[in-house]
Amino acid sequence: MNGLPVIDMKAINKTFPGVKALENIDFRVQENEIVGLVGENGAGKSTLMKVLIGLYREDNGEIILRGEKVIIGDPREAAQMGVGMVFQEGCLLPNLTVAENLFLCQEHIFRNKGLLSVSEMIKVAEQQLKRVELEVNPRAYVRDLTQACRQMVEIVRLLWLSSISGVENPVLILDEPTTVLVSNEIERLFSILRHLKKETSIIFISHRLEEVVELSDRVVILKDGKKIAELPRDDAQIRKIQMLMVGHELAEEYYKESEQTQPGREKVIEVEGLEIRGKFEPADFSVRSGEIVSLVGVLGSGKEEVCRCICGVLRADAGKVKINGKEIKIDSPKDAIRAGIGYIPSDRRDEGLALQMDVMSNISLIVLRDMIRAGFLQVAKERKETSFWVEHCRIKTPSLKTLCNNLSGGNQQKIVLAKWLAARVKVLILDHPTRGIDVGAKEEIYRRIRMLASEGMAIILMSDTLEEDIGLCNRMLIMKDGKITGEISCPVEDKPTPVDIISYMV
Amino acid sequence: MRKKRVVVKDGLNIRERIGRGFRYIISHSVFGPITALILVSLVFIVGTGGSFLSLKNLQNILSLGSILAMTVFGSSLVILMGAIDLSPEGVIALCAVIGGLIMKNERTVVDVGFWAIPIVMMVGAGTGLINGTINTKLKVPSLITTLGMWFAALGIAVIFSGGSTNPIMDSRLQVLANGSLFGIPYITMVTICVFIVLAIIEKRTAIGKYIFAIGGNEILAKQVGINVERVKVIVFSIAGSLYGMTGFFLVARLLSANPTISRGILFPAITATVVGGTALSGGIGGVVNALIGAMTVTVLRSGMVLMNISPYVQGAVNGVVLILAVTITMDRKKISIIK
Repeated sequence: MNGLPVIDMKAINKTFPGVKALENIDFRVQENEIVGLVGENGAGKSTLMKVLIGLYREDNGEIILRGEKVIIGDPREAAQMGVGMVFQEGCLLPNLTVAENLFLCQEHIFRNKGLLSVSEMIKVAEQQLKRVELEVNPRAYVRDLTQACRQMVEIVRLLWLSSISGVENPVLILDEPTTVLVSNEIERLFSILRHLKKETSIIFISHRLEEVVELSDRVVILKDGKKIAELPRDDAQIRKIQMLMVGHELAEEYYKESEQTQPGREKVIEVEGLEIRGKFEPADFSVRSGEIVSLVGVLGSGKEEVCRCICGVLRADAGKVKINGKEIKIDSPKDAIRAGIGYIPSDRRDEGLALQMDVMSNISLIVLRDMIRAGFLQVAKERKETSFWVEHCRIKTPSLKTLCNNLSGGNQQKIVLAKWLAARVKVLILDHPTRGIDVGAKEEIYRRIRMLASEGMAIILMSDTLEEDIGLCNRMLIMKDGKITGEISCPVEDKPTPVDIISYMV
Repeated sequence: MRKKRVVVKDGLNIRERIGRGFRYIISHSVFGPITALILVSLVFIVGTGGSFLSLKNLQNILSLGSILAMTVFGSSLVILMGAIDLSPEGVIALCAVIGGLIMKNERTVVDVGFWAIPIVMMVGAGTGLINGTINTKLKVPSLITTLGMWFAALGIAVIFSGGSTNPIMDSRLQVLANGSLFGIPYITMVTICVFIVLAIIEKRTAIGKYIFAIGGNEILAKQVGINVERVKVIVFSIAGSLYGMTGFFLVARLLSANPTISRGILFPAITATVVGGTALSGGIGGVVNALIGAMTVTVLRSGMVLMNISPYVQGAVNGVVLILAVTITMDRKKISIIK
């Protein structure tokens, strides 16, 4: 690392009402360097980056770009100074073509006798797309592209913006780019990033520490708005980073294995011959009280469909579901809820919560019917019930009337859980409960899952990694091509290894 | 009429292998609306036993369709941005009445001749400017802004007209309204010229791209650096000037100006917009769709008249067509909540 840093953020402070989001952070990026930025949710990664691209204004501190002190007003100015960010949600307009998206708001460059030259735009777009070896027709609509393609187009857009502003060695900020990609797309992204490194600097934010360690030249760790540590590549081990992120040594038994309970006798849920033709073949299994059963399988193995079928989102073609030995008819989510089946979706923002509603309304949503007397809602009862569950689930919220939108991801997840607990469900289906959540919050969720099981809840789990499945469950059902192909029990003293299981899966 | 899904593999798609014209047709979701236009026409050709195809009827449809298209160009531009414009009825009435008063007429001594055209377009653009400004600066939803403008403009039109019809004595108007060249009405030619100008704006200028960008996702458009407020004001103004042009056409056809001249034009205009394939949610569609939609609705209306279908049934058919078209063209993925 030689010469002047491209970016030198000095003593950045940023306060939001009630929260000190960034505290005296120094952050430096050298030329041709990939910097990994990690930290728990709410550690300040996104805030820091948003300050850098001008979405937020720092309270004090200074940003020095290539040796010059700058004030960045908005993302467009930042892009012209050669700093651009690819957001998780993506910033492209689906109803425009690739070329139109690339040059949006810079059309004046292609103006010829007062009109835009479309052929010129297409030509330049093709040239630019070649830089990342992207085989995309510039005339294609962005809505028809895969997520991976869109990301690339966005990267190309940022590179182009800085190149027309005459900036050398631009800085790309990638915010969790890999969450929407599948493994071969991730590899492709990484190889392109390594290639781009010759002419750019990259800031890489991810929750997947393996990726950060693999890609980065240097890892910067934030915690509670402070920079905790900075590790050069050779010094960055996953275990060490995890420890620094959480701020204390992680418990040896990450998945709380010692709290694993023996399942009860009674079968809470029995599934017999459940089938959706074309999606999965007749499935038979049962879950006892206090038992955690993992459904594992690769994408398309049918595990998601089985779960969605049990909770009434998809309709079964054949088969039955029994709760506590009694057969129930599930035609809609409503039937499933009435029977005591709860479902916590992976996408809590879209499916799990009404973000525009307050904490109380969200928790009492399902049980609201029970709180109505003579046609009127008993607000006092609702408040009492809700505050009990807020306490029970340790939800950190200023008040019951706070909008869910304003709470952190981990707390939102807890509210979803509280909602089902309030409805007193007997079976909980957890659909990737730890997706997009940092190490510390994961630990909390594992503890909670254990607690639920010890209270006698029957739990069906689908998780992000095999290790997580193995660590958490009592028993594992393996699905392949829509069929349950194997069953492995995972007692505490004799957990199988991922290698054992993969052989069943593929 | 559903937008045809084209198989895409990494962005390279089958559109590459088909001819450019055909590619255009399917790529701009024009395919469905054109099919609808052809189908509707076929129904009436058969239903009327061929009298639908008489030169006189075709000319009639062309000139009626051209007048409607002029309004639809305007209202669909606004809808493309994801907003809506309910004001055409009022604005057209106002422009028509003002146009009547400044041409050779029975009530005033003013006679500006064809200069009336730019003047009424300016009046229309003025109302659009107000719409746009209220919408963006005062942040009043376009639905309410333009609803208010509809009645405000209509009220002013009634005041200016004194509530009665003002006959026009400029005989050149009659030529414009009813004359034709090689069988194509002059009105249609004017509309085609406007169509070409708008198509160029849509395809070859930055503001054309911005309209689609705003309709696609206004927040992102703002982030990219588009001056959304300015674009909106400009688009509302363009729409207003097109309404002004419509007002002039109507005066020319009737050879008189009165504030009821535009009564009932909003409904066919909205229907034509959606029948043409412009999504009410914004971002999809365009001036080509507007033209097709206007022709479809005109064919439908005059075809039913030709077949002597009862006006009550006609009304019902129009209503059903509107709902049907929205059902088919709406991008449901974008809208998860129906308000």
